[in-house]
Amino acid sequence: MRQVMYSCFAKGKPRLLLCFVSMILFLNNLHAQSPVLVKGIITHQNGDPIIGVSVVVKATGKGTTTLADGSFEIEAPANGTLVFTHTGFVGQELKLTGTNQSGLAIRLIEAKNSLDEVVVVGYGTRKKSDVTGAISSVTEQAIKEIPAANLTQALQGQAAGIDIQKNGGNSKPGATPTILIRGSRSISATNEPLFVVDGIPFNGSINDLNQDDVASVEILKDASATAIYGSRGANGVILITTKRGKTGRPLVTFSSYAGFVKIQDKFPVMNTQEFSEFKKWALYNGRYTGNNRTYSSPNDSALILQNFSPEELQSMKTGRSTDWQDLIYKNGFITNNQIGYSGGTELTQFALSAGYFKETGIYPGQEFERFSLKASVDQQFGKRIKVGVSLLNTYTITEGEGANPMGQALRASPLVSPYNADGTILNDFVPGSASQVWNPLANFVPGAVVQARKRSGTFTTLYADVSIVKGLKYRFNSGIELRNDVYGEFYASKTTNNLGGLSTAQNRTNFRTNYTLENILTYDKTIDTKHKINFTGLFSLQEQSTQGNEFRNNTIASDDLQYYNPTYGANLVGEGSEEKWDIISYMGRLNYSFNDKYLLTLTVRTDASSRLAPGNQDNLFPSAAVAWNIHRESFFDVKAFTNLRLRGSYGKVGNTAISAYQTLGALSAIVYNYGDATTTGVFLSNVPNPDLSWEYTSTLNIGLDFGLFKNRITGSAEVYQQKTDNLLLPQTLPATSGVPNAIVTNVGKTENKGIEIQISSVNFQGKTRNSFSWATDLNFSINRGKITQLAGGVISDPANSRFVGHPIGVFYDFQKIGIWQATAADTALAILQGQTVNGVGTVIGNIKRADLSGPNGKPDNRLDATYDRKILGSSQPDWEGGMTNRFSFRGFDLAVFIFARWGHTIRSTLHGGGFANTFQGTYNNIKTPYWTPTNGENDYPKPNANNTNTPNNSLLGFFEGSFVKIRTISLGYNLPTSFLKKLGLRSARIYTTAEDPFILFSPFVNKYGGIDPEASGSSSSPSNATLNLDTPANWSMIFGLNISF
Amino acid sequence: MIYTLFLVALITSACRKKLEEQPRSILTPEFFQTVQGFQQGLDAAYASTRLIWGNQDYFTITVIGTDEFKRGIDGNSDINVYSSAYNSTTGVINANWRNAYTFINTCNGVIDNAPNVPMQESLKKRMVAEAKFIRANWYFILVQFWGDVTLNKTFQNEPTTSAVRNPRAEVYDFIIQDLKDASVDLPQGLIKDVQPGRATKAAAMHVLAKVYLTRGGSPAAKATDYQDAYATAKSVIENRNIYGLILLPDFARVYEEGNEANAEVIWTSQHTSNLAFNGPNNSGIVNFSADNIYNHMWVPQYERQPGMIRSTQYGRPYIRCTPTRWLTDTVWGNKTNDTRYSKTFQTVWYANDPNTPSTYPKWPTPLPAGAPAGAVAGQLKFGFGDTAIYMPGTDRTNAQIAASRPTLIPPRLYSSAMGPYMMKYNDTKRANLNFPSIRPVIAYRFAETYLIAAEAAFRTGNTGDAVTYINLIRTRAAYPTGNAAAMQITAADINIDFILDERTRELCGEVVRWLDLVRTGKLIERVKLHNSEAAINILPKHILRPIPQAQIDAVTTGTPYPQNPGW
Repeated sequence: MRQVMYSCFAKGKPRLLLCFVSMILFLNNLHAQSPVLVKGIITHQNGDPIIGVSVVVKATGKGTTTLADGSFEIEAPANGTLVFTHTGFVGQELKLTGTNQSGLAIRLIEAKNSLDEVVVVGYGTRKKSDVTGAISSVTEQAIKEIPAANLTQALQGQAAGIDIQKNGGNSKPGATPTILIRGSRSISATNEPLFVVDGIPFNGSINDLNQDDVASVEILKDASATAIYGSRGANGVILITTKRGKTGRPLVTFSSYAGFVKIQDKFPVMNTQEFSEFKKWALYNGRYTGNNRTYSSPNDSALILQNFSPEELQSMKTGRSTDWQDLIYKNGFITNNQIGYSGGTELTQFALSAGYFKETGIYPGQEFERFSLKASVDQQFGKRIKVGVSLLNTYTITEGEGANPMGQALRASPLVSPYNADGTILNDFVPGSASQVWNPLANFVPGAVVQARKRSGTFTTLYADVSIVKGLKYRFNSGIELRNDVYGEFYASKTTNNLGGLSTAQNRTNFRTNYTLENILTYDKTIDTKHKINFTGLFSLQEQSTQGNEFRNNTIASDDLQYYNPTYGANLVGEGSEEKWDIISYMGRLNYSFNDKYLLTLTVRTDASSRLAPGNQDNLFPSAAVAWNIHRESFFDVKAFTNLRLRGSYGKVGNTAISAYQTLGALSAIVYNYGDATTTGVFLSNVPNPDLSWEYTSTLNIGLDFGLFKNRITGSAEVYQQKTDNLLLPQTLPATSGVPNAIVTNVGKTENKGIEIQISSVNFQGKTRNSFSWATDLNFSINRGKITQLAGGVISDPANSRFVGHPIGVFYDFQKIGIWQATAADTALAILQGQTVNGVGTVIGNIKRADLSGPNGKPDNRLDATYDRKILGSSQPDWEGGMTNRFSFRGFDLAVFIFARWGHTIRSTLHGGGFANTFQGTYNNIKTPYWTPTNGENDYPKPNANNTNTPNNSLLGFFEGSFVKIRTISLGYNLPTSFLKKLGLRSARIYTTAEDPFILFSPFVNKYGGIDPEASGSSSSPSNATLNLDTPANWSMIFGLNISF
Repeated sequence: MIYTLFLVALITSACRKKLEEQPRSILTPEFFQTVQGFQQGLDAAYASTRLIWGNQDYFTITVIGTDEFKRGIDGNSDINVYSSAYNSTTGVINANWRNAYTFINTCNGVIDNAPNVPMQESLKKRMVAEAKFIRANWYFILVQFWGDVTLNKTFQNEPTTSAVRNPRAEVYDFIIQDLKDASVDLPQGLIKDVQPGRATKAAAMHVLAKVYLTRGGSPAAKATDYQDAYATAKSVIENRNIYGLILLPDFARVYEEGNEANAEVIWTSQHTSNLAFNGPNNSGIVNFSADNIYNHMWVPQYERQPGMIRSTQYGRPYIRCTPTRWLTDTVWGNKTNDTRYSKTFQTVWYANDPNTPSTYPKWPTPLPAGAPAGAVAGQLKFGFGDTAIYMPGTDRTNAQIAASRPTLIPPRLYSSAMGPYMMKYNDTKRANLNFPSIRPVIAYRFAETYLIAAEAAFRTGNTGDAVTYINLIRTRAAYPTGNAAAMQITAADINIDFILDERTRELCGEVVRWLDLVRTGKLIERVKLHNSEAAINILPKHILRPIPQAQIDAVTTGTPYPQNPGW
């Protein structure tokens, strides 16, 4: 056949007909023979060969498995049927016909939640069918499909119950998002889940992981699953398994992509015509002589003469407009390259990989680079001992992490030019901006601004497995992490940072070590084939210590020195830091299963944490979970169900996620001098809290796993309730307490309830490479969190934005009900409310707030922060979900990932409370309508040169945050096997991916001129979703290639 | 097996040790019990004075919205004009409140821990006295601005979410006791013999006199207050040789740059040219910006005038306030005999734009009538280094203005951006144009002692002594060019308004005015008379500051924290 084909292709058109005829003859010929030798290759839908797929001739039981390159050979009747099965994939059958016997290209589709799949649980692995806790898995494929800068970004929207948002809306290269698993509870030091890499808690930045090295990710959500990590598991646990070598022919993989990053949109600011009009109104409204307006109208010639320079007047005449944003944005560049080599024998397996990632930002000077090198070796010694070591080394460089030219670019007047007459950059204050706005282009002068962070780290894990007797195993597992973080900063004199003042430099270094030592004993025993017992016992010690120092100086002798040598500078000041904590733990876990139908897990862990007050350091965290494999019951005879499992768990985990030394109180430094004698004083800034105690979260979780129609549809649903007690939160005390800083204390109780649904379905199952396939993954989650009790029986704590019955961190403020109009009715109402209506302080044209209540519980015609503020919203969404559709046809595949978050409130500093929408008119403003005495505008206030920011401006910043966005679209093509063979490759795939290409729906974007509503608070207060006015959101498109041989 | 158990036991006990915290980079409150901690606690208390003298937050609540100064175009329009936007959420109010309580607690820490500190008793006593002096200053601020306030007499070393307001009478008693204690243990001799910035007996007595005087004008007044105020102030005056205090012969020397340690100065809040210990953003360190930016506060928008650019010499125009017409035109009366007007205000600027002739004005064609000799149509009116701006202080016709070489700004053309510059805090030696001042701020000076004595004497009916003290001040005011004899007043001249006027002439801009007006019950009357923008809004409630909303919000247990009446 191949010869025939070859001859057809090799020769020209005139012989095509002959070819065709001879092919038919050949095929007819085949039909007559029986049995035949069938050859083929089995690949993953992403094109990678799959090793170990079982290939069985139906009804004969004769079978084989695929080799490392995915190939197989089997003898089968010419019209027989082959069955392909493999753990974690949807099974497939193929009826042989005469045409497909020697070049079969079978493609298997990953089955999510397949019960045979082995999943990583804490301190071991289990078959999915034996798992009792709530665990979401994200496969290598799903991670690969989103070529993001870091793993967290790749996980966004991939599993129910994990909420991943850009931290403060930060879109800078190297920025790490915030992760919340099942809502927010404690938000003191960190609310982030615990990352465990290859069994060892990982304390590095998520940026230190190369996502190409990740084989799978499991997210542990309920107490039963997380309890084994004790106090560090309270916010959920993310288990990351890195790729290791496998027995078989060495495999070389190479992947590479490159592409561009662009801003999604510019911030909407005014142009010359709009701004000059706006500025005139601001001056007209704001300039008073005594209590009379200085100018007769916005077009008063005196107003124009006194407040606009000749250059500005020229621009107004000609309409010349400087778009400062156009001058600062550029296209970013993104590339990722990875080469891997792995393989092994029965005794030794190894894997080596090296990666390089680089992203440059949308302004000059922003850049993130990562070099990574990973190596692992697993070695069997004799029959009893296996030892493995793995090294993860990374070096990252982040440039320009603090760069934010927005303060200048959005405020600089469009009426003036950024250049001098001779075409050079005007390195000075931008005219027409009250000597506040320095030309943002000044920072892009080479060498003027340096912000460089260099981080290096090693994460080394070592294990030794010893089989003591049958069923009894001892494992020593250890990990050491070393992290160096060196930051240097330099600003020349003529930059937006120093505004022509002294040049400044700063150095910061940080060194951190972590180690974890674990002794694990496991015992497996099966009694009477029906009773399966698995026991795990653990003793572990974890320690982290950090030290850092920082020094700053100014008047650097030469800009070329940057931050490197403070000798050539003046006014050196320095600070240092040190922190160390320890956790000592014992854990025991018993798994019992009866007949593979009834499963039970009991876990007990005790942790002792140095971070809590003596006497409160130790605690015990028990949990229990049960599961019932209903489909294995004889009475359950529903053909459609491949599996059906019901799970339930209850347990308690604790949290000490606070910084060290919080129980001790702290002093702060303040400098002073007595004449020439300088001194550093100390004052109490944090009060000791000797009662600081564990925060507990008890979780009840009920889950259902199902597989339908031979696992073509699989999924799970979870319902949970979490109750957190002794919530550890920072508490702002009244000033009269004498303690200026918020203290961390046990403030109360919260409750989180939720539903999570995850469904995967293969809608169209194409059997071969050329046929059409369509699969859908869907996840959906709802979480409702609320505070159920505050310490001391307090119902409302406005200083900390905490209210019983509401989620943590709501937005609490006055209610904006419009703009004060220049009408008799509004004036009368304003006077009644004691509002100023005359002179420079008049409220007419300003934001109007609702009089909600008063001391007697009724509106009292007074606006008072005590009675007239209300909860305006929270950043907790009504629901969140993600959907990925994957299509493939003739070697092409298309994946579209849609991500939605619905029904939450965000705060945008672009609109309110920031520097871009002040209505002062001294600086450019975002383009909004604005109030004038005649236009009746009721959304935005009057421009007013007299106020640096319009009164109650924060009220302009609250928006509905709902959005539906296309997170990624990826189109790929897997080269056909025949072609690969010629090239000597096992697999090859080319693809292109667009990330964040469209926002399908968002009132914030569509109605209010926002760019991207995706935002969260910081990791220390994740529930206050704020979009900071910083690097605008961007989108990217990359082109990539993956090959293996 | 036994061996294993033993090993486990050994590991476990060794591990337990790891749970003990031993911080290496932070100090905990126990540090106050050491000699070093005791001293550094006191240093922090002293450092807190930078949050009063030199700080914009304190400037805002004492200088503006008075008869002296009104809103400048870049000034706070809420507090300046008492508009409805000035309320319990106004940030400046909370900043002052928070600063006070944080550093009262620092003083409390020093005072309460003193018995545990092993050091020389006499030195310890003096240091406790210094802490009491600073504590008294903070409480004096609190009680004057807010009335009844929380009185923390001891070190707060536990978290609390409740608070009560103590009656102002109790607060005054506490302040007076602190100052009495301090005056016993503080250095009794020459001020110049102590380190600059250190409190002395004279300082404690000066403040004590002022406290009595202020209480005498408050609802907590005691019958003996004015008498006590008078006696206390008088003792400072009588013992001036012991303290080394004099009235400098020339008023101009009192606020001369670099002369902050002169013999008229009773106490200062220190700053230094060492930028590691003095701004920008290095003056305070954690959460407290303690830069002295009084050098920026009063600077008008001179840079917009022809021939002028922004310079270190003339200052950074914050334009936070501008003098009222009463201040510039009326209160000084005879500005020739009373030299203090010309020594307080800058009215002449010299052209400093080196880019001649870009911003320089030219004579029009034809030349205006009355143009000076040498004026040529089309030629520059003046050049680099020539007088660019002149404020004659009396009116000029438009024709005169047109015919003038420098820009003439008579009083009728003063605006909220440009008027005479109150130059007491000018600083030409700071490292950079935008930098804060390196000058210590004079908190109390001897001339005020005389004025306190005079006011107290007047209040007790001793008009004769009041006249004597005021005349001493006015005699000095005439030096060197004025007619001292013409400056003398008699008992017939004196009344509380005259005393307030005299305080303006002497102490204009010295962050006391708002309190002077409240003490004398004249705030509303005088604001209505002299500060037209504030006049239309000011209400009786404005004689107290609102309790900050942050305080009310954070008191979540016990009785809700009460707001002041009308707020």
